[in-house]
Amino acid sequence: MKYAFYPGCVARGGAPELYDSALAVMERLGIEHVELTKAACTGAGVLQEKNLKMGDILNVRTFALAEQMGLPIMVLCSTCQGVMSQANHRVKRDPEYLAEVNKHLAAEGLEYKGTTSIKHLLWALIEDIGLDKLKETFTRELTGMNMAPFYGCYMVRPSEALEFKANPERETSLEQLIESVGGTVTDFAGKTACCGFPILFINQANSMKMVANHTGTAKDLGAHAMVTPCPLCHLNLDGYQPKARKQVRGDKADLPVIHVPQLIGLAMGMSEKTLGLQKHIVSTKEIVRMAEAAPAKV
Amino acid sequence: MYEHDVLIIGGGLAGLRAAVEVTRAGVDVAVISKVHPVRSHSNAAQGGINAPLTDRGDKWEGHAYDTIKGSDFLADQDAVEVMSSEAGEAVLELERMGVIFSRGDDGKLGTRAFGGQKVARTFFIGAITGSAILHVLFEQSLKLGLNVYEEWFVTKLIIEDGVCRGVVAIDLKTGEMHTIKAKAVIMAAGGAGRVFEPSTNALICTGDGLSLAYRAGVPLMDMEMIQYHPTTLARTGILMSEAARGEGAYLLNASGERFMEKTAPDYMELASRDVVSRAEQTEIDEGRGIDGNVLLDLRHLGREFIEQRLGYLQEVSVEFLGIDMAEQPVPVQPGMHYIMGGIKTDVNGATNVPGLYAAGECANVSVHGANRLGANSLLDTVVFGRRSGAHAVEYIKGISGHSKVEKDLTAEKTRLQALLDRPKGERVATIRDDMARGMTKGIGVFRDQTSMEGALANLANVKSRIGGFSIENKGKVFNTDLMFGLELEFMVDCAEAVVAGALTRKESRGAHFRTDITERDDENWLKHTLVYKDETQEHGNRVETSDVKITQWEPVKRVY
Amino acid sequence: MLVKLKIKRFDPADSGGKTWWQEYDIDVHPDSTVLDSLIQIREQEDGTLAMRCACRASICGSCGMRVNGSAKLVCKTRMVDVAPNGEQLTIEPMGNQHVIRDLVVSLDTFFSQIKRVEPFLKPSFVPEQGEYIASNKSMENLLTSMNCIMCGCCVSDCTVLEVDANFIGPAALAKAWRFTEDPRDSERDERLKALNDEDGGMWDCTRCMKCVEVCPKGVAPMDRIMELREAAIAAGNTNTSGYRHTESFYNSVKKNGRLDETRLALDSAGWTNIPRLLDLAPIGIAAMRKGKLPPLMPHKSDEHKNVKYLYESVEGES
Repeated sequence: MKYAFYPGCVARGGAPELYDSALAVMERLGIEHVELTKAACTGAGVLQEKNLKMGDILNVRTFALAEQMGLPIMVLCSTCQGVMSQANHRVKRDPEYLAEVNKHLAAEGLEYKGTTSIKHLLWALIEDIGLDKLKETFTRELTGMNMAPFYGCYMVRPSEALEFKANPERETSLEQLIESVGGTVTDFAGKTACCGFPILFINQANSMKMVANHTGTAKDLGAHAMVTPCPLCHLNLDGYQPKARKQVRGDKADLPVIHVPQLIGLAMGMSEKTLGLQKHIVSTKEIVRMAEAAPAKV
Repeated sequence: MYEHDVLIIGGGLAGLRAAVEVTRAGVDVAVISKVHPVRSHSNAAQGGINAPLTDRGDKWEGHAYDTIKGSDFLADQDAVEVMSSEAGEAVLELERMGVIFSRGDDGKLGTRAFGGQKVARTFFIGAITGSAILHVLFEQSLKLGLNVYEEWFVTKLIIEDGVCRGVVAIDLKTGEMHTIKAKAVIMAAGGAGRVFEPSTNALICTGDGLSLAYRAGVPLMDMEMIQYHPTTLARTGILMSEAARGEGAYLLNASGERFMEKTAPDYMELASRDVVSRAEQTEIDEGRGIDGNVLLDLRHLGREFIEQRLGYLQEVSVEFLGIDMAEQPVPVQPGMHYIMGGIKTDVNGATNVPGLYAAGECANVSVHGANRLGANSLLDTVVFGRRSGAHAVEYIKGISGHSKVEKDLTAEKTRLQALLDRPKGERVATIRDDMARGMTKGIGVFRDQTSMEGALANLANVKSRIGGFSIENKGKVFNTDLMFGLELEFMVDCAEAVVAGALTRKESRGAHFRTDITERDDENWLKHTLVYKDETQEHGNRVETSDVKITQWEPVKRVY
Repeated sequence: MLVKLKIKRFDPADSGGKTWWQEYDIDVHPDSTVLDSLIQIREQEDGTLAMRCACRASICGSCGMRVNGSAKLVCKTRMVDVAPNGEQLTIEPMGNQHVIRDLVVSLDTFFSQIKRVEPFLKPSFVPEQGEYIASNKSMENLLTSMNCIMCGCCVSDCTVLEVDANFIGPAALAKAWRFTEDPRDSERDERLKALNDEDGGMWDCTRCMKCVEVCPKGVAPMDRIMELREAAIAAGNTNTSGYRHTESFYNSVKKNGRLDETRLALDSAGWTNIPRLLDLAPIGIAAMRKGKLPPLMPHKSDEHKNVKYLYESVEGES
């Protein structure tokens, strides 16, 4: 399978370990990809607050670029997934609107015909490659590792734009991944709630409450780590965990938060350095140790 | 101390419109409702509200005549004249409050066609007209700072020396009982659909207002006039607005025929509701239905039109039955929907008990007579809600103080405690179910002496059992179990009046269609039936009659 | 079909504030809705179960409850959709609102939020005769918000209300939207400014889309909130960090094709807001030490000038 690869802005910026670990995992799996270097930022829902149409145009341009290559888009970020899916949904169900958008793209010689699909690496692994094929690349069985899934809003809502009806396995993609690496799911009510990143600069107090609630609850329930498909969630849940936990619960940041390719990489036997696990704010030393001590996969 | 100049029972369209009127007059007023005002059943009205707008060449007399003809000439023509001549302003007022009525190309209010009228004068908001108006009236009530006793259930009217002086009620949230004294009370508590099964009505439509007034000595008029709406959704009983037919939908039998041609070649699907329901029931009874239904076909209207003008209907059809109306016809059948009968009032909403008014579905002025036209109920609520409010404002000027008596409160507390203390008996739901099914069976689209006597016998059986139902929930907070018991008692009163009226009227007129006496008899029966509660009588009531008021229009045979 | 319901019970009188779970196993018609099942329980098994329901046709808004953790109108939630294989359903009262009894929550939270937006038409004049003139398109546009039946599902599941009771909430904002879009209302700018400036106003929404997902009537409150933000910015409300955040993002992509994260953080805080800037320092330093502070010279996408031209093309339209 070959993909038009869209790593997103944060994977190249504040969460470089996501980019590095994703590349390492894709290489191990033999996933061919071509980076969409001309594509612009999705807008993350923020740009859309100033001008929704501008956001749609930027995203449809990305779809058109991928369509020219004849490749489906692969993303590494829940927010990219959600924003793109919503834009795609809007133009595909309103041909008049799509025509309007294409008018602006014509200057660059682009025209979107509506055929591009967008999949997060996590969905691509489950739907295109298959978990069985993925498991063949694992060298470790991460038994005894309790992982709390944290999806990120844009990966699970609105379910219509994300095509959950046609792809019901998307609703439990993280749980499936955790189980495939041999881990145990630490289920908790906040797994599909908001991490607070969008209001970090607007209402920090509320943002910190969300971070503290989710990481604290998961830790209380026995999770060794949290895994998330969204680097924006990661920035908040990892980066601001020390401040949030202290401010809201008066305790320490003790729940490492890892990216999807990092979890996969650990099961594949990759090193801490390869996966960039040393770059996290909340120490990942303990789960690296657990992974290294994990039994070999039979 | 709960005291008000005017107390309005019910927070639906009639109640809120009355409240707005009284507030504007600078008089102290409160609304008391067993549900939050926006939960009132007015929100379920879908199709539209009628009004003759004279600036476009429509004449109010046209609407009046259509209404009177629709009523099969049982409506009091002076009352209809009042409603029709005030209708235009009543609707325009709602628009000025902010209702988002649909518009024509000229930016003025737009219309759709509706049953029983050749002129399109039904103003609407998609298929959510009732909800859209109710929510705006609620917004106005917020603007005016209206006092609402929210989730308070009225158990009794306080009548002293023949004058209404207030109510006794339970605050459902705490279970505490109180009296609320008032110089005037406006009853706007809605209809009684739950007396039948199935019904399009909400679970809260239990005829509370009808019964409370009945027990206070007010007669219930023309109670045998029960409207079966022609298009209620199969299996669920949910209302599918007449607006569908107004916008051009067809009614088809199993052979794909537009069967309305047989009984109403001129108006077809837009004949009056009783005519359409009977036509449908005949198709079904004679084997030309499909699983007890006929089909409502909207396919030719096109998806975009359906979604824009009839969006809520599509929502219901898809979500409840999985049927896309743009692709498939929808199975429908007649279902109990509205009660033309009700608390007898004059054109100002006044009853025979000074201080007690009534407006909306619980009242009977009579503007709907033996059959109500679609989109006239919403009109009725705002016109007579306003008029009741205005008249109550004048009436209270002659009332100097409040009643000091508390005996009603003590008696009600004892009565309710006794209900709670009853030993384990039948469940309320079982009795209600038996009563309601018996009522539908005996007083249906078609009825005869035998079926009606059957309903009477069934009701007698029900009455023998209501002394024995027990309440499982003994708690105080939000005791809906107790409320259901009280509602059952109210429903039995309504059922009693319906059966009494039905057995009295020896003719067929409008919705009261007797297969054993199929003709209308103006010579003997151009009259209203009036049922009075009377414990000295065999069935607990006596029936009198009164003449229908004729002004301009001589009764003729009704043909569609 | 056999169904299993696990219902959260609560009676202030007897349980001393404790809730308990009660399980019911019943046999219902295969076409039943969750409400049908609850009514069957109430009428045949347990008359003490308290809940609100009325129309059974998704128009009155009474029956909002949480089914398996998500708010729904149970009258239109079919059993076969939520428990296709007879799975046990967990039924609880709606969230973020005080529970009165069992599945009945207080409506006070909800309606106090609604009242905050002054939800009634504020026209500058009232026609003496006839109606206001307005296009059908402008009235149909308002249907999205008018379809709200005030069921409370959005408020129940709002992730901001979970941590901050001062947030005005999705329902109130969706209602306010209607008045900003109604051509007959004369206080659009005032309304936008009020909701922009208010503590707990339009900028406090965290864009989690729960309200869009759970709204049973397609109101999509979050989409309305985003439109309020767009309108507020266009009307010149530039005094919030929400605005600075959005503006910075927009400009960053215009200039670079990509997001300049460091610049975004600094712009959102406000260059003259020393305390806020200082507040950012620890995270900046931590990121630097881990080797992941975004570059001071931001990444640009290839041929990023094309993005700038696109912006100009769109901006030139208005």
